[in-house]
Amino acid sequence: MQRSLIAIKRRSVALAISTSAIVLAPATGWCAESGGEAAGGGSWLSLVFYIINFAVFVWILMRYAAPAARKFFAERAGGIRETFARAETTCREAQDLVSRSAERMSQLDAEKKQLRADLDAETGYIANRIRELARETALRVIRDTELTGAAITEAAHRRVRAKLAETTGNLARELMVRSFTDDDQARLLRGFEEKLAQEARR
Amino acid sequence: MKSSRVAKRYARALLGLSDDHAQLETWGTELERLARIADAPELALRLASPEVSHEAQIEAMAKIAERLELSFPLRSLAVVVARHGRIADLAAVSESYQDQLDVLLGRARATLTFAREPGAQDTAAVVRGLEAMVHKTVIATVKVDQSLLGGVVAELEGKIYDGSLATRLGEAARRLAG
Repeated sequence: MQRSLIAIKRRSVALAISTSAIVLAPATGWCAESGGEAAGGGSWLSLVFYIINFAVFVWILMRYAAPAARKFFAERAGGIRETFARAETTCREAQDLVSRSAERMSQLDAEKKQLRADLDAETGYIANRIRELARETALRVIRDTELTGAAITEAAHRRVRAKLAETTGNLARELMVRSFTDDDQARLLRGFEEKLAQEARR
Repeated sequence: MKSSRVAKRYARALLGLSDDHAQLETWGTELERLARIADAPELALRLASPEVSHEAQIEAMAKIAERLELSFPLRSLAVVVARHGRIADLAAVSESYQDQLDVLLGRARATLTFAREPGAQDTAAVVRGLEAMVHKTVIATVKVDQSLLGGVVAELEGKIYDGSLATRLGEAARRLAG
């Protein structure tokens, strides 16, 4: 910033000197030409006059135009400085934004990677869990089916045996009713008496 | 339970009136007759009716005892039972009296259920077997139940001795059914 101001000042001085040289160069030429015409009288006076005239002109210039020019240039320099400062601030802010956005981008990228990893892990866990549950359910269904099958078979066996026993019992009962005799009754009573006798001996 | 305790007390009181076993047997028979009459539905309902006064109940029981020609202790018992409002407990008193008399005389009562009408020899043989088992005189009540198919079932002192064909068949069927 300071360097820019110094450069501007230098350029202003160079401009003033160049302007003076340009203004004075025709006067010098004109004096020389007048000197040539006069050939030995009045030319130096004219030169002095012009120099004084120029000096007056410079003085008037310095007295009245210079402050305005200086003020103009100072204001201009201030404006430029302010603009430059704003530009620098904006540039700095833009750089900050750029760096922040880059940082944010990298954070987002890291978050994205983390999210993806978490999702992968979660998906893997859930998939494993579903697989385990499915296996357990399948095993349970198989076990239940086996148990149910065994129970149904056992119940069927029991029913068949019960039916067989009932039929046999009925047949035996019918046979006995039909063919039971007094001798059979007497034999049963003897057996009962023997049982009582055994009980009595105990 | 309370009624049973009361019945036992009355029965014990009557048993305590004599040491003569024959006399006690006679009283037991008379008590059973009295209880049967008092327990008959037509008489029991009338005696239990609130329209019949307490005095009328006592008088009715005294007359019943007199008509049945019961001995003096039984007549007295009938009046006492009526006076204490225990006419409905007479059956329980009679039962308890028989039980206590059986214990006193070393007897046991058995119910013999035959599949066919038994002969005297058959009944006597079974009674002998039971007596040998419990070492008491057994008084048997005989019943016939044809559903037993064959054999006999004896019930003595709360135990059942089953020698029936129906039970054997049932057991065989159960074994066959597994």
